[in-house]
Amino acid sequence: MREDTRNKALWKFGSYIFLLIVTALVTIPIYWMVVTATIPQSEFFSWPPRVIPGTYYFENLAALQENTNFIRSIGNSLIIAISYTILSLLLCSMAGFAFAKYEFRFKEPLFYFILATLILPIQLLIIPLFLLMVQFGWTNSFLAVILPWAANPLGIFLMRQNMRAIPDSLLESARMDGATEFQLYYKIALPTMIPSLAALAIILFLFQWQAFLYPLVILQEPEMYTIPLALADLVGAQRVYYDQIMVATSLAIIPIFVVFLTLQKYFIKGILAGSVKQ
Amino acid sequence: MATIDITNLRKEFGDDGEQIVAVDDVDLTIEDGEFLVFVGPSGCGKTTTLRCIGGLEDVTEGTIEFDGTDVTDERARERNVAMVFQNYALYPHMTVERNIGFPLKLSTKQSSEEISARVTEVAELLGIEPLLNKKPKELSGGQQQRVALGRAIIRDPEVFLMDEPLSNLDAKLRSTMRTELQELQKELSVTTAYVTHDQTEAMAMGDRIAVLNHGQLQQVGTAEEVYRSPTNEFVAGFIGSPSINLFTAAVDGNTLTGPDGFTYTLEDTAPLEGRDRVRVGVRPEDLTPVSDGSMPCDVTVVEQMGNENFLYAEMGDIDLTARIESRLNPAEDIGITFGFEEEDLYLFDPQTSSALKTKTSETNVDYQQYVQTGNV
Amino acid sequence: MTLGAIISKIQSSHSYKRASDQLRYKRQTIAEWLPTLPGLPYLYISPFFILFGIFLLFPTVYTLYLSFFTYLGVADGNLFEIQLGAVEIAIPRIANLEFAGLSNYERLLLRDSLFHRSMYNTAFIFFVQVPLMVILGMATALVLDAKFIRAKGLFRTLIALPVATGLVAYSTIFLLLFNDDIGLINYMLESVGATAIPWLTDGFWARITLVIAVTWRWLGYNMIIILAGLQTVPQQLYEAAEIDGASRWQKFRYVTLPQLRPVLLFVVVTSTIGTFQIFAEPYVITGGGPGNATITVVQYIYEQAFLQFNLGYASAASVILVTMVSILSILQIKYGGGED
Repeated sequence: MREDTRNKALWKFGSYIFLLIVTALVTIPIYWMVVTATIPQSEFFSWPPRVIPGTYYFENLAALQENTNFIRSIGNSLIIAISYTILSLLLCSMAGFAFAKYEFRFKEPLFYFILATLILPIQLLIIPLFLLMVQFGWTNSFLAVILPWAANPLGIFLMRQNMRAIPDSLLESARMDGATEFQLYYKIALPTMIPSLAALAIILFLFQWQAFLYPLVILQEPEMYTIPLALADLVGAQRVYYDQIMVATSLAIIPIFVVFLTLQKYFIKGILAGSVKQ
Repeated sequence: MATIDITNLRKEFGDDGEQIVAVDDVDLTIEDGEFLVFVGPSGCGKTTTLRCIGGLEDVTEGTIEFDGTDVTDERARERNVAMVFQNYALYPHMTVERNIGFPLKLSTKQSSEEISARVTEVAELLGIEPLLNKKPKELSGGQQQRVALGRAIIRDPEVFLMDEPLSNLDAKLRSTMRTELQELQKELSVTTAYVTHDQTEAMAMGDRIAVLNHGQLQQVGTAEEVYRSPTNEFVAGFIGSPSINLFTAAVDGNTLTGPDGFTYTLEDTAPLEGRDRVRVGVRPEDLTPVSDGSMPCDVTVVEQMGNENFLYAEMGDIDLTARIESRLNPAEDIGITFGFEEEDLYLFDPQTSSALKTKTSETNVDYQQYVQTGNV
Repeated sequence: MTLGAIISKIQSSHSYKRASDQLRYKRQTIAEWLPTLPGLPYLYISPFFILFGIFLLFPTVYTLYLSFFTYLGVADGNLFEIQLGAVEIAIPRIANLEFAGLSNYERLLLRDSLFHRSMYNTAFIFFVQVPLMVILGMATALVLDAKFIRAKGLFRTLIALPVATGLVAYSTIFLLLFNDDIGLINYMLESVGATAIPWLTDGFWARITLVIAVTWRWLGYNMIIILAGLQTVPQQLYEAAEIDGASRWQKFRYVTLPQLRPVLLFVVVTSTIGTFQIFAEPYVITGGGPGNATITVVQYIYEQAFLQFNLGYASAASVILVTMVSILSILQIKYGGGED
C-alpha cells in the first residue's frame, strides 16, 4: 500500500517536471522574441546574449514603420484575411449545407473528389495560378490572393461534417412553419452552426494571415505586401533587421493570439468533428 | 377545420435499383376535428404516411385532399399544417418566445406587436409564460414539449400532425401530457393525425385508430372496434396488452382439436364451414382457470402486478398468457387448466389470416342504473 | 449602458419594429414569387464549385499539362479562336510552350542530383519530425489530461502559443536562437559546460534545426487535437479496465490508443502533408544551406519556377511530389484507419 502511494507521488512529480520542461522549451523562444524586440540592434550581438527585456520597443517600432510602412502591411493583411475568411465561410457553409442535408445526383462522387484535393500541396498550384493571374491581369491585386483558396476543401469538409448533426426535424419543422429553402440555410442552419463556423474561421484566418509563398509570388509591389512579406523583406541580402522583425512579429502575433484564445473551445470542437468520423 | 382525404397513397423509397415500399395503397378519411392515431410496429409506414400528409415527402402515387382541395403537390409551407416532432425540433438558437412566434413571422403579415401578443396568449394557454425568455436547452423535457405545442397551435393550422410526441418523456409525465394533449385538441377542435408505436397510447387517445403493417392499412376504427372486432390476425395480435394467445387448431365437425390436448366444442359452427384448420385466438383476460377446461397447461412464471397476476404457461409447445385475479397465485411447474367463453373466442383464416369470428359478448351494459341525479 | 442594452433598446423601439416588419413583408413577397427550384442543391454548391474549378481544379490539371512542356515565356496569342457572325470566342493562350514529352520527368528522376538531394532532405525531416512530434504531442496531451494537473488552461495556452507566430517570424527567431556563434542556445550549452553545436553550418545539424523548428511550431496545435480526442474516450472504459486490474501502461495500450486511433491518424496525415510542403523554414533559417544540405523539394520547385522560370520543369517536380505525398497518405489511411 505504501509502495503504491509512493509510486503515485513519483508519477505525479514526474508528470509535472515533464510538463514544465515542455512548456519552458516552447515558451523560451517567444520570451526571447520579446526581449529582442525591446533592445537596440547594437546589443544584439553582445556576448553573453541579453535575457532581460529592455526599453527600446517603441524606437524599434518607429524604425520598422520607417523602413517598411508596416502599418500598411497590417492593413493589407487584415483586408485580405478578413475578406477571405468571410467569403470562404459563405461558400463552404452553403455547399456544406447542400452536401449535408440535400439529396442530389453525383453528391457522393463530388464530395469525395473535393476531399481528395485536400492532399494537393499549395505549392503545386502556385505555378499555374501565377500564370492564370498574369492572364487575368490580376498580379499585384488582393483579389488574386483572396479568391483561389476561398473554395476550401477542408472548409467544406468541416461544414458538411458538422451540419450533418443538425436534426432533419429542425429543418422540416421550419419548412412547415413557412420557411423557404434559403431561409432554412440562413435562419436555421447558420445560427445553429456558430461554433463550427468560428472554428473554421480560425483555421481560414490563420491560413491567410500567415500565407507566405503564394502572396510572395503574386504581390510584388512593396505597398501591397502583407505582414509575412514585409517581414521577409527585412531579411535582406546585405542586412537582417532582427530587431524590427521581432517588433513586427510581436505585433502580428496579437490578432491571432486573441482570435485563437477566445475561440479555442470552438476550434477544438470543429476540428474534432472533422477527424473523428471520416 | 379540415377533412383529410387520402386516396391510394403510395410512397416508395430508394434509387433506381431497389425500391422499398413504405406506404402501400392507403385509403383513409380523417374527419373534421377528429383525433386519429396511426399505430403499428416500427417500419410499418405510419410516420411516412404522416409526413406525406404534412408535405415533407413527395408522394409516389395517390392524392391527399384537404377539404376537397388537392394538396398533393403543395409544399409543406403552403398546406397550413403544423407538426410536433418526437425530438420537439425547437430552434436551439432562439428563445421560447421567438420559437413560438417563428411560424407567424414567416408566413403571415402580422406586425411584431400582434405576434408578440399572440405568443403571450398561447404561452398562457399552455402555462409556459414564465419561460418565454429562455433558450430550449434550459427547459425540461415536458416544458420543451409544451413549447413545441405552442409553436404548432399559434397559427391555427387546419391540421395537426404529431410524430410520437410523448415518447421522449418519462412514464408519469407521459400520462399527464396524454390527457393535456387530448383536452387541448378537443378545445381547439383541429383535425389531428397522431403517430405512435404504443398501442396503449393509441387506444387511450384516438377517436379512431388506424393500424398499419408493412405499409398497408389493416383497419381503422374506434378503440373498441379494433379490440373487439379486428379484421385480421395482425390487428388482433397488435392491439391489447398482454397480446392475444394464438395457435392453429384442426376442425372436426363442431370441435376444434390440438395441439397438445386442446379441445373445444363450438355451438355456432358457421365460421368453421368448409375448413379443416383455423387459427384460434383467446385474449389473456378471457382465460379463467377451471377444473374442466379446454386448455391444459403447465405454469412457467407468475408475475404479480398487485391488482392482478400475469400467468405464463405452456400448452405443449405453445406459450400462453393469462390475466387472472391476484388472489390466485399458483406455484410454478404445476399443471392447470384454462377455459373461456365462446363469445370471447376469435377465429382467423390460416391462409389469409382474416377474421372469421370475433368477440360477440355484450358491450353496452346499461349504466343508467348507476347515474345519480343532481350530481353534475 | 452596455452595448447589448443599447441594442435591445433599439430593437424594442416602435420604429425599429415597424421597419423590420416592412422588411419582413418584402422578403415574404419575394419568397412567394420564387418557384420551387428542383435544382436547389446545385444552387448552393455552384459558387463553391465555380471557384473550385477555376482556382483549384484547373491549376491542378494545368500543372500536369505543363509538366510535359518547356516554358518559353508569357504568351500573347490565342489558343483557340472561333468567329460566327457577331459572336467571337477566343481562349487566350496562357503560356508560350514547347512540347518536351517526358524529358522533364526523365531529367528529374534520373539525372538531377539537386532534386534528389532535396528529396532526401525532405524525407529526412519527415522521418524524424513526424514521429517526434506525434510522440511528444501525445505525451504532453496525456499528462495534461491527468486529473491531478492544475492550471491546465495556462499550460495549454502556453504550449499552443507558437501556432500564432507567422512562418517568417518564427523562422527568424530560430535563425537567431540557433546561430552558431551568437545564438542563445549555444550560449546556454556552453554555460553548462557542453560544447557548442554547429546548428547551421553542419548539414546534419542544420536539418535537425529545421526538425526542431517545425516541431516547436506545431506541437501545441497537435497536442490540442489529441487532447480533445482524449476527452472523448468514455470514462467507463477506464473504469472497466481498472476493475480488470489493468496497469497504467495496459490502460494506455488497450483503451487510450485504440480509442485515439482516428484522431492520431488525422494528426499523422496532416503532419505528413505539412512536412512535405516545408518551405519557409529552410528559406529563412538555412537558406537551403550549408551546401544544399537542407534544400527541400518545395524550395527547389520555387527556385526552378520563380528564379529560373523553368515552369514546365518545376511543374514536373510538383507532380512527382504530389504523387509521393498522395501515396504516403493513402498508405497511412489504409494501414492506420482500422476497420473504418
